[in-house]
Amino acid sequence: MSNVVEVRDVVKTYRRDDFLIKVLQGVNLQVAAGDFVALMGPSGSGKSTLLNLLAGIDRPTSGEVKVAGHDIGRLSESDLAIWRRRNIGFIFQFYNLIPVLTAFENVELPLTLTRLSRAQRKVKAETALAVVGLADRMDHYPRQLSGGQEQRVAIARAIVTDPTLLLADEPTGDLDAASAADVLDLLVELNRQFGKTIVMVTHDPRAAERALTMVHLEKGQLAAAA
Amino acid sequence: MQKLALRNLLRNKLRTTLTVASLMFALLLLSLLMAFLDLLGSTSGASDNRIIVRSAISLATLLPESYWRQVETLPHVAAVTPLNWFQGVYKDDRPENFFPRFAADPATVFKVYPELSISPQEQQAWAADRRGFVAGKALAVKYGWKVGDSIFIKGDIYPMDLDLVLRGIFTQPRNADQEKVIYFQRQYLEEGIGKRGLIGTYVLRIDSPASEVAVRKAAEAKFENSDFQVRAETEKAFQLSFAEMMGNVKLLFTAIGLAAVISIFFITANTMAMAARERTAEVGVLKTLGFGRGQLLRLVLGESLAVGVLGAALGCGLCAVLMPVVGALLAKMMPIFGTLRMSGGNWATGLSIGVAIGLLSGVGPALGAARLRIVDAVRRVA
Repeated sequence: MSNVVEVRDVVKTYRRDDFLIKVLQGVNLQVAAGDFVALMGPSGSGKSTLLNLLAGIDRPTSGEVKVAGHDIGRLSESDLAIWRRRNIGFIFQFYNLIPVLTAFENVELPLTLTRLSRAQRKVKAETALAVVGLADRMDHYPRQLSGGQEQRVAIARAIVTDPTLLLADEPTGDLDAASAADVLDLLVELNRQFGKTIVMVTHDPRAAERALTMVHLEKGQLAAAA
Repeated sequence: MQKLALRNLLRNKLRTTLTVASLMFALLLLSLLMAFLDLLGSTSGASDNRIIVRSAISLATLLPESYWRQVETLPHVAAVTPLNWFQGVYKDDRPENFFPRFAADPATVFKVYPELSISPQEQQAWAADRRGFVAGKALAVKYGWKVGDSIFIKGDIYPMDLDLVLRGIFTQPRNADQEKVIYFQRQYLEEGIGKRGLIGTYVLRIDSPASEVAVRKAAEAKFENSDFQVRAETEKAFQLSFAEMMGNVKLLFTAIGLAAVISIFFITANTMAMAARERTAEVGVLKTLGFGRGQLLRLVLGESLAVGVLGAALGCGLCAVLMPVVGALLAKMMPIFGTLRMSGGNWATGLSIGVAIGLLSGVGPALGAARLRIVDAVRRVA
């Protein structure tokens, strides 16, 4: 099976005032198509930084990040934006829905960047909302939804363009146990039923257990794989 | 995109309403001031071939009739006619019934204003009738006057009323403003007030605009050592001097208008900056979804532009509605304000300022949003 993600010798450093902080120190990682990877590690281990690099919303200091066949470190800002909209679906810990748009409009938002007609966008957005079980909440605004429902809308927004890779940053971190379980069920279903490749950052072992592969980061280095 | 920009605009309705309202009132004030300036600076019908000679003290100070023949003999002067501003009230003091009324000399007035056309028969009929007057065609049409009709004008500056008979109608097809005037015999005025030989202004027609400086200097020099020193100026400068009579009002109006626009620009810019700052995380989300710099620039600029144009349009619209009312109120003090109206130029200037404020106040936040690093934006959320 081909790799969707290939990370080679990636180093990421940040400068904070006079200090140089090495967040990632020579990380190598491959994620096969159809895999569901849980990226675990304590706070400050660099897992979110690695996820940001995979999403193309940050750039490595050195090393190579190849996602869906593209060395994204070499793409310009505008090419990277186009690449992101085609290849990446991102799920945030705090959902990050646009509060002035309804659930349907939030899900439709990434499609407005495509050449799809209004009717085609409608079908796709409604389908995505149906997949996450919120077909009956399309006209609700985020403030009218529970946390779990908001996260499911965010998942619908992430999958509506049928991206190559789904990235989730602590998707259950702000949810109660029942809602977290629902969201994890949904991610598992997307992986198993729809074949979506998923990389999920979490520090919750119960969430990580639902993934097919577990990767641990410790102090910016991959510790072990399961 | 448009939907998102519109929803963002309505996100904080109170803030948007207050910003639009502040823009609206600034543009209302500015449009009113611009209309005042237009009115005060209006020199419609002024000719480069005419010079006005009047008292150096003030317009209210009259000149001796003996000056007439003396200015007539100055080099380059082709014709001279005396004019006295009568003012008065026709029908009522509503501004729409105001028009200039001059006591004039029938024999010379059309020599100084050759652009006014009147038949020789009507000119003679006016000259032959002490109570006769001639009116511009625009006025005659407006009031339905026909030759032979009588009109009554109540005096206010002068202690007499005018009971006039229309003896002729003159035309000036190229300038309707010059048709909104009446001239009656100065002899009638002199008899009515019981004083003779007092002239408000002398209007000189000169042989060429090139002679203007020489004629003005000669006229002022001629009476320099007399009891009644004169001021000679072009017709345009004379008309503009009415504005100067109100002090340095133009400078004041311009300063007030500019201050209003500049302060409103800072208010709008601050509002847009606050709105953009509050949405930093959303910008990060939009960028993560694949929105490019250009799209984010358009999103933020579109919002500020909408605020600017909406505020300006409302301000100009309100001004257009209020201007006739304000004009009517001010006309009680100065009749010229009765014609105060929102011109096409005022609309264009007001809307352009709205567009400029919208774009300039949005450009900083828009560039900030476009340049924002996604990681920084998203980090602020978490």
